[in-house]
Amino acid sequence: MNLRVLACCALASVAAPLSAHAFLDHAKPAAGAVLHAPPENVMLLFSDGLDPESNVEVLDASGHSVAAGRLMISGNCIMAPLRPLGPGKYRVVWHAVSIDDHRTQGAYEFVIKP
Amino acid sequence: MHMLPKGAVRAAALVLAAAITASPGQAHGVIGQRFFPATIATDDPFAADELAFPTVSWFDHETDVDFDYSKTILPGFAIEVGMGHVNAHEPGEPRARGFDNLKISPSVEVYRNPAHEFILTTGLEWSVGGIGSRSIAERSSTYTPTVKFGKGFGDLPDSLKYLRPLAVTGTVGYAIPGGGDEPKSIEWGGAIEYSLLYLQNNVRDEGLGRFVSHLTPIVEFAFSSPTRSGAGLTTGTINPGLIWSGQRLQLAAEAMIPLNRASGNGTGFIAQLHFYIDDLFPHSLGRPIFGGRQ
Repeated sequence: MNLRVLACCALASVAAPLSAHAFLDHAKPAAGAVLHAPPENVMLLFSDGLDPESNVEVLDASGHSVAAGRLMISGNCIMAPLRPLGPGKYRVVWHAVSIDDHRTQGAYEFVIKP
Repeated sequence: MHMLPKGAVRAAALVLAAAITASPGQAHGVIGQRFFPATIATDDPFAADELAFPTVSWFDHETDVDFDYSKTILPGFAIEVGMGHVNAHEPGEPRARGFDNLKISPSVEVYRNPAHEFILTTGLEWSVGGIGSRSIAERSSTYTPTVKFGKGFGDLPDSLKYLRPLAVTGTVGYAIPGGGDEPKSIEWGGAIEYSLLYLQNNVRDEGLGRFVSHLTPIVEFAFSSPTRSGAGLTTGTINPGLIWSGQRLQLAAEAMIPLNRASGNGTGFIAQLHFYIDDLFPHSLGRPIFGGRQ
């Protein structure tokens, strides 16, 4: 487990407001990013605390999941570990359920260059 | 006692019928991946728990301060109550000031398509005659059945991805004065907006930072067209501006540019502080009275 990611999630949880819509605040890899090395995970940081019903999927160009294990949801952070990825275009699809049951959703793409 | 005209009764019946059969809705301004901020010169198409106070405008020798509160009764069905204070000082005329008539506006979200970021809403605005100050308000009521919509362009192809943050809203209403010889009119308008939040989160992270990414550049337009020939020109304003949307409130400011000379003189200004009641009080005031939240 990436300790920096865990630390980030813990800090974000403390900073999270009590309840509201969970809008995406920060994403890594970011929307539209062009990477030269594959990421080990996708991490999304939201503007509010998340319910465990929240989800993120990372799909390759043919629509298959490239997840490597269970999602980690902590505070307002959600992290999806990934299999070793090859070059190509990937799509991140998320839906967030805030702790007071407001629902939001989104999607974006990133590219890994050869 | 004011009698409702037949057209207004029919419109109210339609609104209520739609409320009973309406599909459940989400809270303020969210449809699919899109968040629509609340527009300030025109009604947006969401039935939500929200409070706009104050909305302050300075235009054509008149200063208005308005209050609007919208409460969801059922998911997708809300009733808005609004009132405003007017201070008008036309050159060469005595100053007129006081409260305008109370407005009561039920609205129902009749169709939602999250995949295409589309929403259609019907409503009725009832401007209750005789409530406001004699020097400002009409003595008779006006009933305006209205259709409103919102459409985000997140479904555009990759080749047009920088247009995906664009969205439009629109409203068309038929104002029926309940008494006197006032002409009927079409009240219409809308907004064209570009969401920097959508750009940042769904298209490409441009590193805009927290404050800037919550801005929505917008152009609103609000027009009134009399339907009787000889009753005058279409009047209204075109309002370019900015909306900043936070987690629980938004701030908006727009210039008001008259459409023509009949619409007024000089550029005005309108600003609004708007609270998302569903986010401020998610377990009490911010929920529909019946039916819970979807």
